[in-house]
Amino acid sequence: MSLLKVEKLEVTYHRVITAVQGVSLEVPRGALVALLGNNGAGKTTTLRAISGFIGLDDARVTEGSVVFKGMKIDNRPPHRIARHGIALVPERAKVFENLTVEENLQAAVPRPGGRFAREKVYEFFPALGALRRREAGYLSGGERQMLAIGSALCCAPELLLVDELSQGLAPLLVRELMRRLQAIRAETGVTMLLVEQNAQIALEAADYGYVMENGRVVLDGTPQKLLAHQDIREFYLGAAGGRRRSYRDVKQYRRSRRWYG
Amino acid sequence: MQLATNILVLASIYALICCGYVLIYRVSRVLSLAHGELMMLGAYGLYATASLFSGHPLVAIGTSLALAAAVGVAVYLALMWRMTGESVLAAVLATIALGILLRGAMILVFGTQTQHPLRELGWQNASLAIGAARISAVGLVLVLSTALVYGGLFAFLRLSRWGIRMRAAGQHPLLAAQRGIGLHGIYALAWGLATLTGGLAGMLIASDAGLESTLVVIGLKAFPAALVGGLDSLVGALLGSLIIASAEVLLIHYVDPLLSEVVPFVVLLVMLIVRPWGLLGSREELDRV
Amino acid sequence: MSGYYRTNYLEDVALLDTRAQKAWFALFIVLLLAVPFAVGPLWLDLANQILLGSIGAVALMLLTGFAGQISLGHAGLLAAGAFTTGILFKELAAPFWVTLPASAAVGAALGLVFGLPSLRLRGLYLAVSTLALHFIVIHAGAEYETKRGYSTGILVDSPLTDARHWYFALLAASTLTILFSLNLLRSRTGRAWRAIHGREAVAEALGISVQRAKLSAFVISSALTAVAGCLFAYFRGFVSVEAFSLYLTIQYVAMIIVGGMGSILGAVLGTIFVVLFPHAIDALMAASGLGERLSSVVFAVNYAAFGLVMIFFLVLEPQGLVGIWRRVRDWFLLWPFKQR
Repeated sequence: MSLLKVEKLEVTYHRVITAVQGVSLEVPRGALVALLGNNGAGKTTTLRAISGFIGLDDARVTEGSVVFKGMKIDNRPPHRIARHGIALVPERAKVFENLTVEENLQAAVPRPGGRFAREKVYEFFPALGALRRREAGYLSGGERQMLAIGSALCCAPELLLVDELSQGLAPLLVRELMRRLQAIRAETGVTMLLVEQNAQIALEAADYGYVMENGRVVLDGTPQKLLAHQDIREFYLGAAGGRRRSYRDVKQYRRSRRWYG
Repeated sequence: MQLATNILVLASIYALICCGYVLIYRVSRVLSLAHGELMMLGAYGLYATASLFSGHPLVAIGTSLALAAAVGVAVYLALMWRMTGESVLAAVLATIALGILLRGAMILVFGTQTQHPLRELGWQNASLAIGAARISAVGLVLVLSTALVYGGLFAFLRLSRWGIRMRAAGQHPLLAAQRGIGLHGIYALAWGLATLTGGLAGMLIASDAGLESTLVVIGLKAFPAALVGGLDSLVGALLGSLIIASAEVLLIHYVDPLLSEVVPFVVLLVMLIVRPWGLLGSREELDRV
Repeated sequence: MSGYYRTNYLEDVALLDTRAQKAWFALFIVLLLAVPFAVGPLWLDLANQILLGSIGAVALMLLTGFAGQISLGHAGLLAAGAFTTGILFKELAAPFWVTLPASAAVGAALGLVFGLPSLRLRGLYLAVSTLALHFIVIHAGAEYETKRGYSTGILVDSPLTDARHWYFALLAASTLTILFSLNLLRSRTGRAWRAIHGREAVAEALGISVQRAKLSAFVISSALTAVAGCLFAYFRGFVSVEAFSLYLTIQYVAMIIVGGMGSILGAVLGTIFVVLFPHAIDALMAASGLGERLSSVVFAVNYAAFGLVMIFFLVLEPQGLVGIWRRVRDWFLLWPFKQR
């Protein structure tokens, strides 16, 4: 049974700009799914549509549906959605800067009926243990990301959405965080949907992947299939063989023909 | 000495009023210019309950405090809730309009004469001596209340879960919502607490000097203290109140009694020129507005 | 090919285009000129108040509605104009053609002072600084009153006494103000104001001196406001600090909000609304029979009703009367199509 099912989702900004055009994806319970794509592909918008924080930018879900645990949640108010068990780790503004690490974890409100002990966060991220009393504004990028994931976990979610985990962090650290996420998933069974630009690292950890471009899902499959796909290798993994290609060689229509071929 | 005592009492008045301004500003970035009128409403509440429960002064006080908190929550639910998406200026104007509405309503219900809630409670405002200075009983209670209120607020905001959540919601409302913190609940709580402390200040001032329309002016004079200290800092409010109270008392005593109305605003103006975010306010506040 | 084209510079600069517009406008002027001869003294006085108020409202609209600089010190500026007139009259027996430009000059100078904080502050903090300045100006006026012994106010001899003469004088003043404002808004200064209202950083990038635009907005608006204050002093024949309370500022702010921000028409509509409001309340009270009981506290009823109406407009109709007018007009224009 899939925990989250997005069907032919269309999201429109300011009533005129369609950022997401007919996206369908499925996240099975307990899985770790990656949503890949470059800047402007519509990944963050999709995530926002799922978590409910979409009205803020004058955007609306105009077609399709988002179904969570069998319930339609598109265009519902965000705090209701959080109550149902979806927690979002945003791309920017991920921690409360003037609160200490411990207070950041205390601030999260657990979903009704859910429990997640704060101590568990320190188990998963031992580095935070030494920083309990440090104000979050003084943490490094990696520590902040750990705190952000930790505080999202304190909401005892069933689905964890992570937006651009790797942004601004060294690859080694990102790999480490991915491993921790897998460990968290293994121990607590939390389902995860990761939005990532760094396809390599994301696909190493994921069970399944979707690739988005210009608001559409252009490819999906298991990591093995995606990593082997020629276009992924060329455009997301940098395996163009070092040859300089002119713009004419990478025209959109040529690519889209290969996507669907 | 007498001057120091006067400064202490005046600073306590301002500080007690200020924590209302700070609480509301911290969570919603709104400067509630209806605070003066809400103070007066609290004082009238005491007058009403004192007449109602004559013979049981403690019941009267307790009821009026509870009423004040309830009114604060009601104001949020009835009006400020709808202004949460709008620009800050619109929200501030809404509070101004609310103040005008309350002022008219209070005159219609209670009339224009000066009232004395303390008499209704059956108590006397004795004049006590502390060393060489004299202080009224209510003045003493004022200072103690301010200390208690601030102590309680600090404990609440630092130590309790909902206090932490309140601070979080004030900082990053979006992130707070993403962590399941119900923003409307936090805002209603802030308004309730603010009106409670403001109402308490109004009750005490009315007990000391009588209940009349100048009460609102005191409320207005207190908001420079909040700004001078930094609109999002409680400690700043204490500091700001001390500074303005000192300036006011000293200038009245040594220069000109007429200056009492304008001193807080001159200090405010100087502060806005020199350091707009106040002594202990956070700098980002300025760009956020 | 159909449509109306402007084919030379004169047409481009004109405020009225089509013949229909000009015809309607001529009719409007005729009606306006006929008012003093057609209505009774009460309505004439109301019309005078509306015309006088519109000058201050337009000035505030320029500053807050167009340039986006929030000011809560309007009453202080009106007081400055009125007090300049009163003081010059009392001390130097200055005539009208001296006090008017003097008031404008004082207003402009004060506008500079009120405007300086705007270079550093924005939004709420700017509003608060103007509020502080208002109190300081009022205090200065009060000091003058007490020090010179005019504790009940300064009496001023007015050059005009007949309400009809006042009507035409105020009509001329108001028309001049509106014409001036309309043309100013279409000029470089006006465009600079709209730019800084939108996005200061972008305006700066476009080469507009944000500082100069902000200060010019304050100076011009304050000069106009002080002129309104001067006229106010002559109209009432009396100057006193009590008349220039925070409530007066709020009334002017209400005028531009109820009228609709960002439109001169809004300023005028708002003025009409705010001036007629207390009388409408009186009429309502008389009609409902409550007039007798509440006659002693009628100002309180006004207060309460005013607050209520302001809240109504802030919450439900942020675009004000102009917004309502535009919706009605668009409904007729687009019928039978639906307006989304």
